Amino acid sequence: MNSKLSYDIIGLGLFAAVVLFGVPAFFGYDGYELNTFARYLSLAIVSMALALSWGTAGLLNLGQAATFGMGSYAMAMHLKLKASGDNLPDFMGWNNVDTLPTLWLPFHSLTFTLLAGLLIPAAVGGLIAIFMFRARIAGVFVAVITLAFLVAFQLLVVEQQGFTGGQNGLTGLAQLTLFGWTIDIYSVSFYYLVGICLMVALTFGLYLTHSKFGLILRAIRDDVERTRYFGYNVATYQTVIFCISAALAGWAGMLYALVLEFASPTYMSVSFSLAIVIWCAVGGRESVLAAAMGAILVNLAEGRLSDVFVEGWHMMLGLMFLLVVMFMPRGIYGVIVDAGRALRRRGGPAEPVEDPSYDNSLSRKQES
Amino acid sequence: MDVVFNQIFAGVSFASILLIIALGLAIIYGTMGVINLAHGEFVMLGAYATWALQTYAGLGVVTALPLVFLAVAAAGWVIEKVIVQRLYTRPLDTILATWGIGIILQQAVRLGVGAESRFVRGPEWLSGNIEIGSLVMSNYRLFVIFFSLVVLAGTWMLMTRTEFGMKLRAVIQNRGISECYGIEAKKVYSVTFAYGAGLAGIAGALITPLFSTIPTMGTGLVVDAFLVVIVGGLGSLMGTAAAALLIGEVTALFSIVINDTLGRIAVLAGIILLIRYRPRGLFPADTRR
Repeated sequence: MNSKLSYDIIGLGLFAAVVLFGVPAFFGYDGYELNTFARYLSLAIVSMALALSWGTAGLLNLGQAATFGMGSYAMAMHLKLKASGDNLPDFMGWNNVDTLPTLWLPFHSLTFTLLAGLLIPAAVGGLIAIFMFRARIAGVFVAVITLAFLVAFQLLVVEQQGFTGGQNGLTGLAQLTLFGWTIDIYSVSFYYLVGICLMVALTFGLYLTHSKFGLILRAIRDDVERTRYFGYNVATYQTVIFCISAALAGWAGMLYALVLEFASPTYMSVSFSLAIVIWCAVGGRESVLAAAMGAILVNLAEGRLSDVFVEGWHMMLGLMFLLVVMFMPRGIYGVIVDAGRALRRRGGPAEPVEDPSYDNSLSRKQES
Repeated sequence: MDVVFNQIFAGVSFASILLIIALGLAIIYGTMGVINLAHGEFVMLGAYATWALQTYAGLGVVTALPLVFLAVAAAGWVIEKVIVQRLYTRPLDTILATWGIGIILQQAVRLGVGAESRFVRGPEWLSGNIEIGSLVMSNYRLFVIFFSLVVLAGTWMLMTRTEFGMKLRAVIQNRGISECYGIEAKKVYSVTFAYGAGLAGIAGALITPLFSTIPTMGTGLVVDAFLVVIVGGLGSLMGTAAAALLIGEVTALFSIVINDTLGRIAVLAGIILLIRYRPRGLFPADTRR
């Protein structure tokens, strides 16, 4: 088992209490401060999405930022159209595009946009997953293919200036109107919207990891061949979790575009994609909750420390990441779990180890 | 046709640079299964070492080569000893750890030397061009092509004609059994990593007169070089050479048929397809793993 369900529920409850009640109170319900925190929360969603595919199923997706970017562009396209009214979006005029491209037309509709932000990433993720996993591509090669896809996709977005705004991305966006509520991103209610989105995503993620589906995914992570011999269609499970992870990343991307009020190709850069991996690894990739907290912690640290050490911050981030990979391969979560186990072993009656393959599971599956 | 010939030459020139970078990467990957994402930063270190030697000691690019090789190899050796060696049982984590090393090296150079672009003069005696009809070939690029072939030949000799090469091949075939025969696999790994890093350093030294030397220069190169390694096939030197030529040429020729960016996208798409259908590369070496 991953961890006890009751612990995860307690953890989620505490986390929700802190995020939904503690943080707003701490910042004195000040919208501007909360806006920064809402940014961390949307990044927490993409980090937990990676934890589903990487930590649970063992598929290191280095192209997570591509699906994240798709979500953010979907949202930004809708808001750009809204801002332009009946006119063409301004950047199209600069690039000699005379009529609105057909690709953009459906983004007039909010329903379509919200669906597209989830389903387009899911479909793209699914296609890549089918393409890879039918051929039993695993381990390092998954990382390479997703990385190559990310690079190609970002190049394409930058290249198609007339459709995407090129290097500048989509700026000058309108405010989103949801059920007649025009969202002011500097309001406390917007913070709650993002916070609730994160909680829904986390609840869904916890449900997945504790279901039988999650158990099979962990079986695939620990020993693909054995799971296959048990008769499970490994490729299907891998594809489904890849789709879910991509859809969640798209969702996070939509929120992120709302928070920052623009979409840019830098959301799809290799360094951003690896940053997601860093958050996930620091928090602990085996637990969606830990991965979400990892994203918040690292970004919080970045927000605070990059003011103090403008130049040195990236170096500290690299060093921290290196130390985590070397000495805490299961992240902060792993340290807490091990400490908890050691405490229980010392005091109280000895508890049977739940799963004998637990401790070396992560190191073993990477042998292939 | 003139454009095509010049583009073919540009392709060969790009391929020769890719080859030197990729050789080091291929040796490291082929031997230890370590995907070294810090390799681009080794190239960058090599470039900066050349710049430092030229600025402070007045050495030319070519005279600085052996020193740069030794310096970057030493850096690689230390990194292998301190970090990579602990991760051999976790190949996926080496990707992440070497990425972290890359960030640190990049920032260290940015803090130490500065983020602005540095210029290194090419050697005087290689400054001209050779013109055959409308085909213009820069002497320096011809020298780089020649040098890359020398490095390829040297590496091949090292792998097949020396005792170290024999040990290295034994460890690639089967680490456990070669250790039983008294080969110190750890030592072989360290030396191999250092050698691969040194090659990256040479590549960095050679490209400084052609590229602008900035702390981020390695990031783009490592992606290309890594694709060369994957396309070439694990542990096959000639495969790496062929793949470097292939990717260099395809990139150069695509850029005249369609534009540069779409050419790169097409190359990336081709590589994704290749990994899918031939994950062992186009020219896999016969090793038992």
